[in-house]
Amino acid sequence: MIRPSRRFLPWLLGWLALSLASAAWIGAAELDRLRQSFEADARIVHRLLSLRAVEHEAILATLALLDAPDSVDAAQRLPSIYPRIVSVLRRQGEAAWPDPARSVELAEAEAASRRAGRAWGLVSELAHGRLWVVLAAEPASHALQIDLPSLVPAAEWPFAADAPLRVELAHGGRRWIIQPGASADGGWRFGFDKVLTVRSQPFDVVAERRVGAGELPWLRMAAGALAFAMVLVGAASLRQQRIARRRAEDLLRLGQVGRLNALGELAAGMAHELNQPLTAILANARAADRMLRDEPPELDDARLAMKAASEQARRAADVLARMRRAVERPDAGAATRAVDLRAAVGAVLHLVEPELRRLRVSPRIEGQTAVAVMAEPVALEQIVHNLLLNALHALGRVPEAERRLSLGLVADGDHGRLTVADSGPGIPAAARGRIFEPFFTTREGGLGLGLSLCETLATAMDGALELAPNGGRGAAFSLSLPLAPPP
Amino acid sequence: MNEDCRLSPVIHLVDDDEAVRGGLAMLIGTVGLRVQTWARPEDFLTGFDPDGVGALVLDVRMPGTSGLAVLDALKARGVDQPVIMLTGHGTVELCRRAFKAGAAEFLEKPVDDDLLLDTLQKAVRQHVRSRERNRADRLARERFAQLSEREREVLGLIVEGLTNKEVARALGLSPRTVETHRANLFAKLEAGSLAQLIRQFAELVEDGDAP
Repeated sequence: MIRPSRRFLPWLLGWLALSLASAAWIGAAELDRLRQSFEADARIVHRLLSLRAVEHEAILATLALLDAPDSVDAAQRLPSIYPRIVSVLRRQGEAAWPDPARSVELAEAEAASRRAGRAWGLVSELAHGRLWVVLAAEPASHALQIDLPSLVPAAEWPFAADAPLRVELAHGGRRWIIQPGASADGGWRFGFDKVLTVRSQPFDVVAERRVGAGELPWLRMAAGALAFAMVLVGAASLRQQRIARRRAEDLLRLGQVGRLNALGELAAGMAHELNQPLTAILANARAADRMLRDEPPELDDARLAMKAASEQARRAADVLARMRRAVERPDAGAATRAVDLRAAVGAVLHLVEPELRRLRVSPRIEGQTAVAVMAEPVALEQIVHNLLLNALHALGRVPEAERRLSLGLVADGDHGRLTVADSGPGIPAAARGRIFEPFFTTREGGLGLGLSLCETLATAMDGALELAPNGGRGAAFSLSLPLAPPP
Repeated sequence: MNEDCRLSPVIHLVDDDEAVRGGLAMLIGTVGLRVQTWARPEDFLTGFDPDGVGALVLDVRMPGTSGLAVLDALKARGVDQPVIMLTGHGTVELCRRAFKAGAAEFLEKPVDDDLLLDTLQKAVRQHVRSRERNRADRLARERFAQLSEREREVLGLIVEGLTNKEVARALGLSPRTVETHRANLFAKLEAGSLAQLIRQFAELVEDGDAP
C-alpha cells in the first residue's frame, strides 16, 4: 500500500509548477501593463513640459517685439495671466538688470543669448524651484522668472500625487524634483529619461517608477493557483475512481479465474480419489465373474473378490462424503442481515456495465425503489451476478434490436422478489426441469454449476430461486428472499 | 533361480494402492499368469529379477517415485520386459511421454479387464519370443567365434552362393582343402543343412569378420 502522501506527491508537484508558471505569467503581464502605462504618462509629462518651455520663449519674443516704454505695464500683467511667471525684468541700454542680487548672472545670460541669437536659460536656482529665461534684444532685453512648482497645474498632471513615482528636471548636476515618490529600493524599476527639445531650457526629464511586491496582483495569482488545484483535484479523483473501478473489475475476474482453478483442482482430486476404488471394484468384479465361469467355479476366490469389491465401493462413498463436507458452506443462513435488494442489484449492474455496453443493452428496472430483504450480502450479489450474466449471455445470441433486459423488484407478502427477464432464445422445454441440476448446462464450455450454486445459496438464506413463467420469449428467473423486519 | 522358473512368465505389478493391487492381481491370476505385487517402486527396482520373462505394470501416479521415473530407471538398466503404464488421469502429454520413454502400452484406470489381460498376454508372448530369439542369436555368435580365419572366408563365399570349386578358385586353394574347411565349419556351427547355415549365419558374416 502506498502512503497517501507519496501517492499525491506528483499531483502536488504538478500543481506547484502550474501555479508558479501561471503566477509568473500573471505577474509579468501586470508588470508589462504598469510599464506601458508609466511610459505613456511619462511621455505626456515630457510633452507638457516641452510646451511650457516653448511658451516661455514665445512670451520673451513677444515682449521683445512689442517693447515700448509703456510696455512695463504689460510685463507686470503677465504673472496674473500665467501663474508660473513670478516676475518679468526689463533692461535697456547701458542700465543694469533691476535685480541687484542677480544682475551679474542675468548679464552673463544676456550676453550668451546675444551670442547665440536665442533665449538663454539660467539654472542656478533650479534647486529652489526657480528658472530664469533671458532673451537679449533691442531696444530692450527681458528676463522671465519661472516658478517650477506651478509649471504644470495639478489638473493637467497625469500622475496621481501619491503615486510611487519620482519625476525631476535635471541639468548640469542641478535638479528640481517635481514629484518625490519612489525612493525605496527593491521591486521592479521603470525608467524614463528624455531631454526637452527646447534649446533654451534643455532639461532632462527623468522619471522613475518603482513597483513593489505589494503591487503585484496576488489575488489573481492565488485565484489561478486555486483554479489549478480544483482542476487537479478533479482529475486526481477521476483517476482514483477509474483505478478503483478497474481494480474491482480485476478482482472480479480474478475471483472467477480462481473459482475455475479451484474447481479444476477439485475435479482432478476427485477423479484420482475415486479412480482407485473404481479400479479395484472393476478388477475384483471382473475377476469374480471369470472365476464363476470357470469349470468348476472357484467359489471361495470369487467370494473374496466380491467382498473386496464391496469394500472398495464403500471407500468410494466415503471419498464423496468427505468431499461434500469439505465443499459445503458451513452456515450460509447464519450470516444474513437486512440488505437493500435494489442497492445490491445496482452494485451488480455496475460490475457488469462493460458487458451491458458491449451488447448495447440498457436494463429496465421496475417496481419498488427499496425492498429490504434478509440475505448474506456476498451470496446475494453472487446470485444476482449469475442471473445477470446468464441473461446477458442469452441476449448475445439475438440481434441487437431484440435485446431487452428487465429487472423487477417487488415485496410480495413476507418475501421480497427480484425477477430477471431477458428476451434471449429462452430455455428449451426439455431443459426446463433440469437447469438447477449440478453439471447440467446448455452452454458450450459451461460447467453447469452457476444456477445450481445460486439455488443452493438462495435456499441456505431461506429463500428460493425459480424459473418464472415468462409470457413472451426469453427466460425469466425469480429470486425470493424473506423481507427484513421493519427497523 | 533355476532356468525353469525363469522361463515361466511373471507379471510384476507396481501400485501404491493395496486394493488396486489386490484386485488387479486376482484378475490377472484368473488367466493363469503368475503375479508379483510391489507396493513401493523403490522395492520393486531393487527386488525384481531383470532376467526373468514376463511384463511390468506400473501406476503413473505414486508417492515417492512416479511411474515415469521407474520407467526411465528400467530403460537405463537395459531391462527388456515390456512395460504397461496405468493412469487415473491420462492426458495426451502424459501418454506421449510414456511412449517416448519406451512404454509398450498406456491404459487408463479403471481398466477394462479384457483389454488389460489381452495386452498382458500379448506382451508376455512377445517377450518370450524375443528372449528365445536372443538366445539363438547368442548361440550362433558363440559358434561363429570358434571358426578360424580361413573357415570364415570360406563361409562368406558359401553364403554368397559359390560352389566348392568356385570357392577354391577364389581363394587359390585346392577343392579338396575347401572340402575339409567346409566339413569343419559345418561341424563347428552345428548346422545340419546349407539352408540352416545361411539362415543363422548370413547376418553374422555380413556384420564383419570380427564379432
